[in-house]
Amino acid sequence: MPITSALIRSVTATLYERALKKIPEDTKAVLRQAQGVERSDTARKTLTIMLQSADAAEAKDHLICSDVGIPVYSIKVGTGARIDGAIRQAIVDGFADLAAQIQPPILRMVTNPLTHQRSHAGKDMPIVAFDMVDDADYIEIVCAPKAMGSGRWEALETFVYPSLETIERYVLDVVLKAGSQPCPPIVVGVGIGGTFDHAARMAKQQILRPFGQTNPEPILADMEKRLLMAINSMGFGPMGTGGDTTAMAVHIDYAASHGFMPVAVALNCWINRRTGARLHNDGTVEWFE
Amino acid sequence: MSTPGPLPRALHSSPPGEDTPMHSNDTVRHLDLPLDLEAVRALSVGDLVTLSGDITISIGLPTHKRMVQTLQAGEALPIDLRGGAFFHLSSYVVDAPDGTGTPEALYMNPSTSTRYDAYMPPLIRGLGLRLVGGKGGLDQHSVAAMQEAGCAYLSFLGGGCTLLAESIERVVSSHWNEYISQFRLVTLRVKSLGPATVAIDAHGNSIYEDLRVRAQERMPQILATLNQQRKPNP
Repeated sequence: MPITSALIRSVTATLYERALKKIPEDTKAVLRQAQGVERSDTARKTLTIMLQSADAAEAKDHLICSDVGIPVYSIKVGTGARIDGAIRQAIVDGFADLAAQIQPPILRMVTNPLTHQRSHAGKDMPIVAFDMVDDADYIEIVCAPKAMGSGRWEALETFVYPSLETIERYVLDVVLKAGSQPCPPIVVGVGIGGTFDHAARMAKQQILRPFGQTNPEPILADMEKRLLMAINSMGFGPMGTGGDTTAMAVHIDYAASHGFMPVAVALNCWINRRTGARLHNDGTVEWFE
Repeated sequence: MSTPGPLPRALHSSPPGEDTPMHSNDTVRHLDLPLDLEAVRALSVGDLVTLSGDITISIGLPTHKRMVQTLQAGEALPIDLRGGAFFHLSSYVVDAPDGTGTPEALYMNPSTSTRYDAYMPPLIRGLGLRLVGGKGGLDQHSVAAMQEAGCAYLSFLGGGCTLLAESIERVVSSHWNEYISQFRLVTLRVKSLGPATVAIDAHGNSIYEDLRVRAQERMPQILATLNQQRKPNP
């Protein structure tokens, strides 16, 4: 039994709903950990309310945030996956199903940049990035709705032969500019090198990385640790009303580049929307966060 | 695949005791709306509050622009917001099926206030607003207007949709309904909305400005520490 477009359509809708109603377990764990470390009363109380909000949404099958963002999916297609039907259209239809059926209903966030008209659909929506995975016999779909709180502060700059110091300073400048506003504690994803588009994709992929994995590149593993400490020395804290926890994680990837080297910084807010599913050739679905 | 890995070890760096923790009251103060000037002036940054009474909400930029234009033309808004509470909260409002009954608000949640920076000072001064809010704060022009008018800014929990929805009692009115739900000018009756953090008070204190300035002042030290920690490039 191949992976059918009907299954892809249904998983597309379910992933979005999960992203809106449940924050990842690792994210809750880090918020709880931060509660024990925070020195500011305001920050501790804000973290408590955050965890209450996450639990309440899960228990009541409700939205965590009213800004449901715009639909963004990353899809890895295994070369051994057997697919019956269209994939791209299944994603479009799956999101349309979700928008029409989810309870409580969601606000219209998909905005035409030329007219500012709002809808649940639009040109190139959902935004889907495809990758191939050699020899894999599955399709992996990751859903990460992108909303304004963190989305408006993401940035990219192209440098020429930047030093590590220059790269790190740029990441901090982006976080400093966002300041109190991206609903901290945030996840910071950084893409170094490649090209303009590839750096942005790497940064996006890195905010989707689960917490606790050690970066295989030692230079980046060190950079992640010191940037996390640096960001948490800034003082913005939970919801930007002061505290020690401005970021939950800094995740960085790199790609070989030219002498021009883009650095992209992506941000996720504290609810850290990310959900994924692996669709196997036998029709089974494996869910992950 | 679904099991989270170990947690990041170095979540924090600066040793305890380096900073004085931000002022905060242990108790949550309950406020009945509308607030008088005295009650607003009694609020300080860091206070936690809950609210009961009528609040008016919108996250529409066109809405803000139209409000300011209406006031500047010397005309009245469709609702009397003088001395009131106006928040950047988005809501899903369902119209009554026959279009005649009272609409229902299914939930609400704050949005980033800074995108209304240009519109807030004339609204705060023109309407004598006592409370504004949302999340992320307002700029110094608004802080000055708030000090002048006697107004405080409340930070609601972003991602607090389910909790904040529990406080909605009913929709009092919904105006400018030609806009999408979250852009309408909606007045809600709420009970124990919050807790929210007083992040800008009526005395010119802004947590946001303090934190921004402090973070900028810390940057040279933060960058110096990074340079010390960085191993030489191989």
